[in-house]
Amino acid sequence: MASRTLQSRFSLGRFVVFAALAFAVCFYGIPLLWLFMAGTRSEASLFSDTPFTIGSWAAFSQTWTNLTSYNNFQIGTWAANSAIYSVGGVLLSLVASIPGGYALALSEFPGRKLILIMTMIAMITPSTAVVLPIFLEMNLLGLNNTYAGLILASGFFPFGVYLAYVYFSTSLPKGVMDSARVDGCNRFELFTRIALPLARPIVALVAFFSFLAIWSNYFLAFVLLSDDKLYNLPVGLTALVSGSGALSNLPANDVPIKKPEVILAAIIVVLPVLLIFIVAQRFVRSGTLSGAEKG
Amino acid sequence: MATLSIKGVRKSFGSVEVLHNIDLELEDGGFLVLLGPSGCGKSTLLSIIAGLEPSSGGDVVIGDRTVNDVHPKDRNIAMVFQSYALYPTMSVRRNIGFGLEMRRVDTSSREDAIARAADLLQISHLLDRKPGQLSGGQRQRVAMGRAIVRNPDLFLFDEPLSNLDAKLRVEMRTEIKRLHDRLGTSVVYVTHDQVEAMTLGTKVAVMKGGVIQQLADPQTIYEKPANMFVAGFIGSPTMNFLTGTLEQHNGGLALHHGSAVLALTDIEPGAEAFVGKQVVAGIRPETFSKGEGPSSLTGTVDVVEPTGPDTMVVLDVGGQMISARLGSRERPHPGEPMTLNVDTSALNLFDPDTGNRI
Repeated sequence: MASRTLQSRFSLGRFVVFAALAFAVCFYGIPLLWLFMAGTRSEASLFSDTPFTIGSWAAFSQTWTNLTSYNNFQIGTWAANSAIYSVGGVLLSLVASIPGGYALALSEFPGRKLILIMTMIAMITPSTAVVLPIFLEMNLLGLNNTYAGLILASGFFPFGVYLAYVYFSTSLPKGVMDSARVDGCNRFELFTRIALPLARPIVALVAFFSFLAIWSNYFLAFVLLSDDKLYNLPVGLTALVSGSGALSNLPANDVPIKKPEVILAAIIVVLPVLLIFIVAQRFVRSGTLSGAEKG
Repeated sequence: MATLSIKGVRKSFGSVEVLHNIDLELEDGGFLVLLGPSGCGKSTLLSIIAGLEPSSGGDVVIGDRTVNDVHPKDRNIAMVFQSYALYPTMSVRRNIGFGLEMRRVDTSSREDAIARAADLLQISHLLDRKPGQLSGGQRQRVAMGRAIVRNPDLFLFDEPLSNLDAKLRVEMRTEIKRLHDRLGTSVVYVTHDQVEAMTLGTKVAVMKGGVIQQLADPQTIYEKPANMFVAGFIGSPTMNFLTGTLEQHNGGLALHHGSAVLALTDIEPGAEAFVGKQVVAGIRPETFSKGEGPSSLTGTVDVVEPTGPDTMVVLDVGGQMISARLGSRERPHPGEPMTLNVDTSALNLFDPDTGNRI
């Protein structure tokens, strides 16, 4: 019995699956691990020591000072800008996509199918393809190079509408909605009092994907923003790299931004995404429908 | 409390008509059970009464008000769903009081009503829990609490016990009957369970294919089924159908089946017209008793099923299987011959062409 169990544990199929998974973890995880470790090392250490050497507190502290003193803590301004664009854009995308998806899932109205198809088309269209028309539109509205301009453009999130549509059309218990109608809810109250509290997982998911898209958006911000005080982190990071020549073989200059500073800046770009993911996934997995219906 | 009238209600989904001209009347304080197999249209009819589904024609009248175009919330009805349909994000207290909250009932009155309902259903200790923390039976009670707290004109129950285990189902059935006796509110109750229908209903509407086959009190439905569908649907084991010829016999009528002659008593006047023709006799299993009598059937014992209080015997009578409910002490053996006497006063005759009662 015991030997049979052992035999099944060490089957070839399981070995192949685990080997493939281990390879994937290493392949995708090692660069991220290297990034976080490299942030603690000096430039000399980056070249001379083995790849996974942990640096010193002194080296990290020096890198941090160099980075924050660059252009009067400009990276702080860019991080704040990124936060403003992300919060504004996420709120706007939620306000548009959650009720939009709900209406598409639960209402019958003329043009519903057309809107669904348009949403799908918008979803699969590469965002870079619409950057130029958005630039022209913002230019016409005088919103280029403003917070409002980038927030408005970022709030367009058809994937969120689609996610909400799929969630509401498949996961909303019909009995609960019927019960609420009998209890006295009108259409608006059905959404706000019943459907929305049940939709916390999808709100978290849409917010996360929207945040991810806006936080790491380079091209749209690059096109719409020309004032470096309004840059977000991705554009700022590029400006930092190109302005300092940290990653090129330019002759030595006085700018204290070298490879460790760029690495630390990259960590600052990545870290919020990781933190938000940890918070959002708790909501996504919370299973708020538990107990609504039989079972 | 209120009366309910359904007048010529129809419902179609595209070209498929699922309800055909339904007419129903429920007296004030009555308990109407809509009974039928899956897909017979009973839940659709309930949804139309609730206003959750528009009808394709006809009128729904609650009390003296035609409510065809009235929103569910304005019909003053309360509904218990098969799936319980509790609000998972709300506590039991808020679940029960939600209908009152939506009707802007002030907090203290609401709390009083919640406490009364919870007390009645013995769920006062669960008020601060979420539905996810309750067992199936407790959720069912909360669903009922949510319905009774509003003091509606009409209760609608959509197969409320079908997700409970057998023991709990019996307990909750008694609970529902007790509640109805105490509150006196009119009830429309959908089920496919004939025992629920027979025990709870003051009126039972047996449905099939979107048509009411019979609307009567449970006793009439059981003893005088309107057709072979109703006869076969009600009762467990189902009614035996024995085909034979109706003949004159000793100044009365008798059913001839092979060599067996069943002398009929309490015959409906219309039966005379079928003399000399084939008819179907419907015989309940409990109308058999062991031994010879004026109307006997002899056959071979096929299966014996002791159930505790009874012994079910399947008898092969000339190739036709007959189920009989005998006393618990009867223990015939498969393969042995057996004679059963039939109480023909409880026998039903059906026209084999139409299936309707003669």
